[in-house]
Amino acid sequence: MTAGLPPRARELMKSLVPVICPPEAMELGLADDHADHVGLTVGAMPRGLRAAFLLGLRTYDEGARTWLPARGRAARALPADLAERYYDRWEHGPTPVHVQLARALGQLLKLAHYEHPAVQERLGYRPAAWIDQVKRRRLTVYGAEVRAAEAAVIAPDPLRPGVVARRSGS
Amino acid sequence: MSAVARAPREAVTAGPVPRGVTTRDDIHGDTVLDADVVIVGSGAGGATLAAELAEAGLDVVVIEEGRYWTTRDFTADASAAIRQLYRDGGATMAMGDPPVLYQEGRAVGGSTVINGGMSWRTPERVLDRWRREADLPTVTSAALEPYFARVERRIHVGHQDPESIGLDNELLRQGADKMGWKVIPNLRNQVHCPGSNNCAFGCPTGAKQSALVTYVPRALHFGARIVADVRVDKILMQGKRAVGVMGRVVGPDRQPGHRVTVRGKLVVSACGAIHTPALLHRSGVRSPSGRLGHNLSLHPNVKLTAVFDQAVRGWEGVHQAFQVREFEAEGLLFAAVNIPPGILAMTSHPRGEALGKLMADYDKMVVAGMLCEDTNTGRVATIGGQPRAFYQLADADARRLVRGVALLSELLFAAGAKTIHTPFAGLAPLASADDTRRLYERDIPKASMEVVTVHMMGTAGMGGDRTRAVTDEHGMVYDADRLMVCDASLFPTPIGVNPMETIMALATRAAAHVIDNLARYR
Repeated sequence: MTAGLPPRARELMKSLVPVICPPEAMELGLADDHADHVGLTVGAMPRGLRAAFLLGLRTYDEGARTWLPARGRAARALPADLAERYYDRWEHGPTPVHVQLARALGQLLKLAHYEHPAVQERLGYRPAAWIDQVKRRRLTVYGAEVRAAEAAVIAPDPLRPGVVARRSGS
Repeated sequence: MSAVARAPREAVTAGPVPRGVTTRDDIHGDTVLDADVVIVGSGAGGATLAAELAEAGLDVVVIEEGRYWTTRDFTADASAAIRQLYRDGGATMAMGDPPVLYQEGRAVGGSTVINGGMSWRTPERVLDRWRREADLPTVTSAALEPYFARVERRIHVGHQDPESIGLDNELLRQGADKMGWKVIPNLRNQVHCPGSNNCAFGCPTGAKQSALVTYVPRALHFGARIVADVRVDKILMQGKRAVGVMGRVVGPDRQPGHRVTVRGKLVVSACGAIHTPALLHRSGVRSPSGRLGHNLSLHPNVKLTAVFDQAVRGWEGVHQAFQVREFEAEGLLFAAVNIPPGILAMTSHPRGEALGKLMADYDKMVVAGMLCEDTNTGRVATIGGQPRAFYQLADADARRLVRGVALLSELLFAAGAKTIHTPFAGLAPLASADDTRRLYERDIPKASMEVVTVHMMGTAGMGGDRTRAVTDEHGMVYDADRLMVCDASLFPTPIGVNPMETIMALATRAAAHVIDNLARYR
């Protein structure tokens, strides 16, 4: 798994955090964390898709230079209000490619935001504590049945009783 | 509940890599192995077949592209799990209108490691259709009964303990009761599942009886070998006869490493309905039917999010404890399927402040999904050696998805929901049951639908006629020798229920066929 985005792609993702994520992302200073998370997710993509995605990011970034209100700036350098308008142009873009790329950018940042421990804590979402609690309860209440089931995993029960093949090489 | 009286015992697979499992850390050069049977894939089909054949005394080698993880490795970190356990980090998509995001497991245990743990027999009406349409006269409930029973015993199919069922599922059941609709307890492969609600990211309690904690350790116990972290490039053919497989070690950054060759007297492709046709295509296998890679069914699935006034805390309790079966004849099943906030947000349409407002109610949400038995089929093409799925949602199925969303919304409003967010982009949230009825009058474009699936089927369909099917009733590939398919590729049609148990039953039946013809395979 390849972690990390190229520097420009990383800056672009950081610039999109206030566009995609709720205001709490900036309040909590999560832009760098979110860019890291996106890097991990993109790193898990197959090579071809990753390359296509990074090409899409570059097109999105450099494409802003031809958009009059950007005054020649790349998307990663746009102030928040223009970044919002520029993203909106892609989100409702002229081709499915524009729409899909904008959607993918949004999905990656939404995932990063709501997978962040600080954000999950704000939501009151504490699955690890729940898992730990019910895992212990299971083994306390049903320990004997759990052990019996584990033992059954390897208990002999041939599909065709009496038929045993000779192993190769034995 | 009493306090913990003693130290809990870890689940069966916890601990170091067991004897019989080889990983990339153990392979230091090009490697050649010999076996009676070589199986590509260790999921519902491959692991089941491996265990049955190993117990019968055959020398079995299973090649798995994914890693060997243990119960101890599974946590609530959903995005890490997706990167590690899902093929291509979950970024897999069937192209079409709308594109359908699909997910496959890539780990020892295959997709059973990340599925929801639903275990249903093939419905009789589906078997009847297979007999009629695929010329499979022996595929009857009676003939399959011993195989289903054996699988259910092995993976402990049963109902949930009541204390494991959370409020989201209770609300779904209450809504169905108020509507007067048929709702049934789900059958799940589990041993006293405590409702950790982490099925899709690896069961952290060991309660879900995935192949990882059932058929895999059983196969190992009876002498099978599992080679993890190896991606099979092709099946080795001598003329029409399959004689082995060749692949490469998958490195930490997925770069190809040492070559691994396994020679066998029977070669089995059990790598799922997307990768089995690609593997066969890469290996030069051509089906006389011309149907290899065709007939892809997906059970298109959409989800909606209902917000209640009360705290629901949907992550506290098992998911899919019940299924609403009222519309089964129409090919629609409903269930409550809590998903973590990151995944939910990812599939939600709002962004910015609106997203924040929506997600602030995360603890008050019931996420419900539906399975749609599709009527159209797509295909898996092999392009540059890689599978590419193409699937066009039928107009009739799109209308059924809309109908399903409307029905499920009515149910959730009956249960007390205040607002419902649909899977249709651009559609305002529903605020009442009247709104749901107006859905029928709307023209909802397919492109606006957020469609996902985890049930890919049918791309190497079995059948009695070699001019229309890819394999015979046991999965033996027509016009090839000693080459078997053993996964959901075999399904001639979609089955309308969760496919795992059907795959396992067919694998058990295939094992019986091999054992009954042992002289050929040793």
